[in-house]
Amino acid sequence: MSNALLLIGLNHRTAPVEVRERLSIAEAQQEPTLAELKAIAGIDGIALLSTCNRVETIVSAASEDVIESVVNWLTTRSGSGRADLEKHLYVLRYEDVIQHLFRVASGLDSMVVGEPQIGGQVRSAFLAAQRCHSLDGLLERLFEETMRVAKKVRTDTGIGEHAVSVPFAAVELARKIFGDLRGLQALLLGAGEISELTAEHLNGSGVSQIFVANRSHERAQELAKRFDGHAVYFESIEPHLATCDIVIASTSAPHYVVERAHVERALQSRRTPTLFLIDLSVPRNIDPAVAKVDGAYLYNIDDLQLVVDSNRDLRMKKAEQAESLVAREVDSFRRRLVAQEVVPTIVELQEALEAIRAGELEKCLRKLGPITAEQRQAIEMLSTQMINKVLHYPILRLKESAGEPHERESLRQTIRKIFGLR
Amino acid sequence: MSPNITLYIALGFYAAGTLVALASLFKPEIRVQHLGLGLMIAGWVSHTVWIGTVCTISKHPPLTNLPEAASFIAWTVFLAEIFLFFRYRVHAASFFVYPLVLILLTVAAVVREPFAQMNPSLRSGLFTAHVLLSTVGVAALLVGLAFTTLAYVQDRSLKSKQRGALWEWIPSLNVCRTLSYRTLAIGFSIYTLGLVAGILWSYRTTAELVNLQVKQIGAIVAWVLFAMLLQLFIRGAYRARRTMVISACAFVATLIAILGIHHV
Repeated sequence: MSNALLLIGLNHRTAPVEVRERLSIAEAQQEPTLAELKAIAGIDGIALLSTCNRVETIVSAASEDVIESVVNWLTTRSGSGRADLEKHLYVLRYEDVIQHLFRVASGLDSMVVGEPQIGGQVRSAFLAAQRCHSLDGLLERLFEETMRVAKKVRTDTGIGEHAVSVPFAAVELARKIFGDLRGLQALLLGAGEISELTAEHLNGSGVSQIFVANRSHERAQELAKRFDGHAVYFESIEPHLATCDIVIASTSAPHYVVERAHVERALQSRRTPTLFLIDLSVPRNIDPAVAKVDGAYLYNIDDLQLVVDSNRDLRMKKAEQAESLVAREVDSFRRRLVAQEVVPTIVELQEALEAIRAGELEKCLRKLGPITAEQRQAIEMLSTQMINKVLHYPILRLKESAGEPHERESLRQTIRKIFGLR
Repeated sequence: MSPNITLYIALGFYAAGTLVALASLFKPEIRVQHLGLGLMIAGWVSHTVWIGTVCTISKHPPLTNLPEAASFIAWTVFLAEIFLFFRYRVHAASFFVYPLVLILLTVAAVVREPFAQMNPSLRSGLFTAHVLLSTVGVAALLVGLAFTTLAYVQDRSLKSKQRGALWEWIPSLNVCRTLSYRTLAIGFSIYTLGLVAGILWSYRTTAELVNLQVKQIGAIVAWVLFAMLLQLFIRGAYRARRTMVISACAFVATLIAILGIHHV
């Protein structure tokens, strides 16, 4: 039975990128690496979590002696001195491992709190370990529970729902207006860096057609090719205003290129009276009066930045909710693990004492001779209550032994010895 | 045991469900919303039992007086809400629909009337069709108004760039408008059929097309306002403020029509 559940590793808070990159394990290398680690004496089960922000080994073992071997292995891999590596490493034990994994998979330990990719990375680590049979029962249960908790955190708190970058904030707002972005058309005016990135995200979210207009038509063509879109001449953008659903402006023009009258005409000529305009340029390219037109939703760079800031605050609030949820789940999982380990001992203990009670009762009844049913019932009740009282504290202590597994194991062995259980 | 016990149980569950759902405005957690929905569904089950009891005792559809009609509209409104919730997962409608259901059932509970026996002259297929279609139509129109309100709130939030308490719960503007249009279009068609059936029944029994009492005036004004609202959607001439003003007037007219129901 594994008495030690350990996590040995480093992350973006404890180690600079130069150290992390030396330890990083590419996806194709995961399985041979796991096999190599599994061969270390004393390790019952192992999994590896390697992302750009962390390299962590999750180990289930008979004793904590394996820490030394794993640190040696990491030192060799990093190609640096042991002392150099050790200052970046952390070693977590049992309950802290459970809590850490739950937090990591939920995005609470990420650089950008709530980011969704980490959930998939933990899942990949689990699947890789499963493929090379490096997990024991404890780690299998731990990973399954981790993924369940991560999903629950995301669903119950919505921690990953709010965009924390300007391009994502624009996509989030577009979704708040149109819902599904598939089949929509976007018009890109100019070719600024953020507008390109925004167009890329919109394209990735299903926007079907992107038109690009730029003062330099060649640049427009180049950009349009990237999004599989169409380049249009800057002078002929007005007809596209009437057909496109999203307009992103980021030209270097010192004046408005989209005016209120343009938008009014565009909205009058379309069936769905909704137009989302994103002005990322300074000086602004879209007349602020456009915002007064019914059906036109205009956001400039400051507005989007405010959305991002407010989303960050929101994520921090949701992270607080998520932390309490994780704490509850850690406690519940720990209790279940403890119960699974101590239940067989409790059952054996109860059976052994019940056998003693039944034997002694039989002897006593033989000595007493004929007695009434009420008298027999009273004697039986007395013996049962005595046994229950004797068992009360040993069972309670076993159930409460929620600390480290070796402490629990020692208590379990002591009780077995005292009561003569095999 | 009073046959109205299930009505009061339903009212209790609806009140608790509404309060819990409104609490999610301040504690935006999905489980709070789900708890509210669970309580509302429990109320709706009890409400269904009460409607069944009324039908069994009076041996006719529960639509012969104000409490029965208000209760049946509340029941249908919530049925439509459950359907739309499970189809589109729109939580925000609960902030409007649950209080509406609660108010309508409170009217049913407060305006205490004995289980009405139907006048034998009203036992006609045309009259039953009129009452049933109008009630179901009104329920769908009320749900449509809830979505119109959501679309308006969403439009204002997007325009002002201020997130209100509802921001988290409201789906996209497009979904709100689409659901609003669909429920209004379906409700309006059914309601129109109900009104036509009523006019025909009135003509057959009294030789008059319309007997202009409060409920009839309310019903006709509501019909005109809903027609204007739909026309805005169909023409693509949707304007947030104008739509909301017409919706508010249509809601008041509908309430007048409902509250104007006396014994029939």
